[in-house]
Amino acid sequence: MSKKQGIAGQLLRVDLTTKTVTKEELSIELYLEYIGGRGMAAYFLNKEVDSKTDALGPDNKLIFFNGPFSGTMVPGNNKINVAFKSPLTETYSYALAGGHFGPEIRFAGYDGIIIEGKSEEPVYLWINDDNVEIRPAANLWGKTIAETDHLLKEELAKGKDPHIHVACIGRGGENQVKLACITADVFREFGRGGCGAVMGSKNLKAIAVKGTKDVEVADPQGLMNLVEKVQPNFSVVPKAVVRRKQGTNELVEHINGAGFMCTKNFSEGYAEANKLFEGAKFREAVVFNDAACYSCAIACSKNVAIVSTKYGEVKLEGPEFETLGLLGTNCGLTTWDDVLKVSAVCDEVGLDSITAGGCVALAMECFEKGILTRKETNGLELKFGNGEAMVKLLYMIANREGIGADLAEGPVYAANKWGAPELAIHSKGMTPAVYDPRGAKGMALTYATSPKGAHHMVAPVFGGEMAAGNRFEEAGKETLVRNTQLNFCIVDSLGICATIQNGFSRDDQIEAFKLVTGQEITQAKLLLFAEKLFNMERMFNVKNGFSRKDDTLPKRFTEEPMPNGESKGQTVNLEIMLDSYYALMQWDNNGIPKAEKLKELGIV
Amino acid sequence: MKVLAADPNKCLGCRICEQWCSMFHFRVNNPKKSRISVVRSHETYMDYPFSCQQCADTPCIKACPVKIQALSVDENTGAIKVDEEKCIACGLCVKACPNQAIKKHPTEKHMLICDLCGGDPQCVKHCPGDALFYN
Repeated sequence: MSKKQGIAGQLLRVDLTTKTVTKEELSIELYLEYIGGRGMAAYFLNKEVDSKTDALGPDNKLIFFNGPFSGTMVPGNNKINVAFKSPLTETYSYALAGGHFGPEIRFAGYDGIIIEGKSEEPVYLWINDDNVEIRPAANLWGKTIAETDHLLKEELAKGKDPHIHVACIGRGGENQVKLACITADVFREFGRGGCGAVMGSKNLKAIAVKGTKDVEVADPQGLMNLVEKVQPNFSVVPKAVVRRKQGTNELVEHINGAGFMCTKNFSEGYAEANKLFEGAKFREAVVFNDAACYSCAIACSKNVAIVSTKYGEVKLEGPEFETLGLLGTNCGLTTWDDVLKVSAVCDEVGLDSITAGGCVALAMECFEKGILTRKETNGLELKFGNGEAMVKLLYMIANREGIGADLAEGPVYAANKWGAPELAIHSKGMTPAVYDPRGAKGMALTYATSPKGAHHMVAPVFGGEMAAGNRFEEAGKETLVRNTQLNFCIVDSLGICATIQNGFSRDDQIEAFKLVTGQEITQAKLLLFAEKLFNMERMFNVKNGFSRKDDTLPKRFTEEPMPNGESKGQTVNLEIMLDSYYALMQWDNNGIPKAEKLKELGIV
Repeated sequence: MKVLAADPNKCLGCRICEQWCSMFHFRVNNPKKSRISVVRSHETYMDYPFSCQQCADTPCIKACPVKIQALSVDENTGAIKVDEEKCIACGLCVKACPNQAIKKHPTEKHMLICDLCGGDPQCVKHCPGDALFYN
């Protein structure tokens, strides 16, 4: 069957309770309505998972979806999205991973995979084109991410087939740690919201995939012409050029310089010591080569290595900016060997490095304030900057040992238990990214109104705010945040990387959509879809009792003035921003989408 | 005669070379139909592009059974030509190749070897890491 429309037109459904695998047809019409990736996954999650479901019970699902460009030559088409109910935030959640895993699923002939139910014993999924098997994984349980990847390739092809791609969980996911991620290709994380814990709750250790099928597009020559036109942009657009050299760590200079880089549990926005981590110095100190995800000419990923007296040789792909910030500066680290080591530990056990950094920083502040003592920390001297203690604490979180067991439930649970709720820096239970919203007020709205907790990529507006010179202003940010939220609904659904936008414009994306699928789409239609998607995501949470009372930020951001740096004296006035944002979104004053808005968008 | 060569130190692992190879020859994207393959090692943290390097002593041609003789050198480019009618995909050339540069077509009964796109290799032209050379 030849379908020259980009998408495979097929969904794989895997029921781990009954151990059955079924294949369902997907129509291009559904893709025109929900575009792909985040949109398609949200559609199925809303349809099939009750928002009150136990996130770690068999009724939760992991819904993986590629975008319509997956496996074509469209720039940056490597992002695959997973939707699920989050055990960390109790909200709707999604996470996107780059690398090669998503396109390989497309080469095997599938646009998406729904994992449901729960296996009694550890298993993994082997997708070899049309042949799909649920296989025993007892020998893989307890293994690290890298070991699992290696052992599976040995088991499936004696290590001789380089085209097998694996997504798996580490000990964090196995132990249902609520900040556990799913890791693809060893270093590409479905990072946030605890999808690794959901996978662990299903006793699913890994998904291995290999595909040999054609990806056919409507107009191959037209697509080659478009790519030929677009690709040179990546060597001239300044953001793309600097990302090749320095990766996302090019941001250190700007964010630390502007005084809103998370430092010591967000108690400061700037530190002289943070300058060590600036992009140019990063390149010089530890980078040994560049790496790209599938179909990306920018190559922002960096392979790094260091030989340290404390840890021996540490080698990994990363750490990118958010990891460097949350695990590094936010925990007061000041040396490359500590940053690389703690990053490698998260990679090994499979923890979201952002929330893991939030958890460690919380424990460190509690220790420095005498709320935790060496008695509770199993003797660890948990002061800011103590990398070796941090390594031990990260393992304690992954293994649920001592105070690690508290942090494994997320920063809010731990802070409440320790009697210091105000020290958990979060929104809806999720640790924010590097950007302290006191230095870019739009980020306050981004974090507070995100459907999945304090995640930056729902609407990363700080760059626009800095460029406009209005980063301390609350007024007008509702429009910027809304527009950015809608843009990212589109980008995440097309399944392209956010960074690839630096050279691959929306007009060219729309042209690519036509060349790939043979179907016309317009920016107006994409925006309508985006608004529908964002409201669907909101409504999943509303049905579970979420409202304005949950669109919050910690007092540190709203009441404590930034103590130092170029954002000194700033606090966030969140309530005034929420008022104008809700009005713009046509949500009521309690943050609930109005009935007429839902009707207009076709949401029932 | 020009030859195609690769520098793994510069390879980004984006596999754009595979896309152009597959699209140029087959008008579909399929890494298994690409005559160039990029392989990432999680041990060395490097990406390695594998493709035909037009060996002067042509071990693949020597390995091809006398009764078949499906392989020959293109006079204009020096590329190894596969006669798809004659080739039976026995795999002897794969074993003889020192560069892991020959693969079987995923559905047809013949081998795939780089044909240098007739003298203008698309992979070299579009490599964003400047990791591929034709000179």
